[in-house]
Amino acid sequence: MQTIMIVEDDPVIREELAFLLENESYQALSVTDFETILEQVRSACPDLVLLDLGLPGRDGLSFCAAIRKIAPIIVITSRTSALDELRALNLGSDDYITKPYNIPVLLARIRAVLRRNGTEDAQPDMLKAAGLSLSLTKGTVTANGQTAELTRNELKILAHLMSHAGEIVSRADLIEALWNSQIYIDDNTLSVNVTRLRSRLEGLGLLDVIKTRRGMGYQL
Amino acid sequence: MTISEFILDRLDRMLLRIAFFFAVSAFLLLTGTQAGIIALLLLACLLIFFAELLFDFWKEKKRLDELQAIMRRLDERYLFTECAPRPRRLYERRLFDLLRLSGKSMIEAVSDAHAAQREYREYIEQWVHEIKTPITAAKLICQNIDSDTRRRLSGELAQIDAHVERALFYARAESPEKDFIIKKTALSSICEGAIGTHQTLLIQNGVRVETENLEETVYTDGKWAAFMLGQLLQNAARYRSAAPVITLSGKRLGRQVQLIVRDNGIGIPAHELPRVFDRGFTGRNGRSQGGSTGMGLYLCKRLADALEIGLQIQSTVGAGTCVTLTFPAEIKLT
Repeated sequence: MQTIMIVEDDPVIREELAFLLENESYQALSVTDFETILEQVRSACPDLVLLDLGLPGRDGLSFCAAIRKIAPIIVITSRTSALDELRALNLGSDDYITKPYNIPVLLARIRAVLRRNGTEDAQPDMLKAAGLSLSLTKGTVTANGQTAELTRNELKILAHLMSHAGEIVSRADLIEALWNSQIYIDDNTLSVNVTRLRSRLEGLGLLDVIKTRRGMGYQL
Repeated sequence: MTISEFILDRLDRMLLRIAFFFAVSAFLLLTGTQAGIIALLLLACLLIFFAELLFDFWKEKKRLDELQAIMRRLDERYLFTECAPRPRRLYERRLFDLLRLSGKSMIEAVSDAHAAQREYREYIEQWVHEIKTPITAAKLICQNIDSDTRRRLSGELAQIDAHVERALFYARAESPEKDFIIKKTALSSICEGAIGTHQTLLIQNGVRVETENLEETVYTDGKWAAFMLGQLLQNAARYRSAAPVITLSGKRLGRQVQLIVRDNGIGIPAHELPRVFDRGFTGRNGRSQGGSTGMGLYLCKRLADALEIGLQIQSTVGAGTCVTLTFPAEIKLT
């Protein structure tokens, strides 16, 4: 499990962020004593530090260079000026995210920084559920020894359903998940895509594997 | 100052002086002075008098021309009395001092107003940064509640965020040169940023976004461009048709790159089009929908001017609106 250290002075954000990261199966460490930040980073040796700039007493930027020698940094701040961003990146910060951030975007950028620094556990390429196996890199689905190719939209829909196998996924959640992957579809297009996906799966001999739960959503 | 203006200005005194000369001549004639001597005297007096007038005219004109030249060269014309040479004559000097006092109080008033404006701008920026902390906290808390309430609350939070952003960019547009950094930016990253920010609003309005040809890169400030695009997306969602589709497409035009934002919304009447970039202009659509501030497109225009992005709008009522952002050509440094 990877450790992410949160250096943030607002207690609500700190707790909620820790909660969010733990839900995403990271280990979250919160810094509450801002006098000894460097020592705490040094002793914990986290895989990533989320650094707020407006800390009590000191500017987060002054730690940037020193922390960067130990762990990669994502600066998270409400300061949006171009100059601040430039300074943070020059001082070695790996990424710069402004508040209020889009949560899926934040998680994606955390993953990207971890991957770049080679500490990310390899992302599973294969998803398996309900007798299907889905190859995310090849964009193919295999069942009963047969393989079919999927379009990008179908792939993302199936991947989301498979990673929530057994649960009812609402249409709204599914649309949100697709938008987070830069597929900007509306409700009708989703229906069309799901219908196409179903007929492809039928081609593999899987009838009614994606069930429609009327008024609630889809279920694999 | 022309010679006729000068003569007209002194006409009363000139006539008086000439009348006086003739009166003296008449007196001398009556007291027995020879007519020839009187004629000579009169001629001499008139000559001296006109020479004096000419000299005055030349001197005054020279001085006025000099002062006018100083005024023309000044950037801040209210600083005139600080730059003009102090006159030698007592009367002029007194007038000059009065003018100077008036100018001084003007300068103070102007610099006070500047300082107040700057402080206000700084306060707005600081406030925007402060308000972002609770918005972020609220967004994070939202993650842990059931999905329907979460979506509705997220929608409201996104609206708050959009209003706050507009306030920030309004403050920035006052002195834009300080705040942007031109970098090589892909159209796709500008679009992803803007769509991400307004995702909740777009999804709630059932919008489908299609993108094409966004691999083109431009030289601009990505955040500012994303803010501008965000205003256009919000408008497209607000003034949508029954099945809203927004198309974002990149297009290379010689050395320039265009980003075309096309929607199939309700459109803008032709007579309102020339005014849509005016501050506070809401138009028929804005009035009928309510909640329109008339600030979005105004800010777009301000920021576009600062970034030297061309901004054109076309629209047909009932068919949709198309806004074209033309990014400046890449400048090759050799």
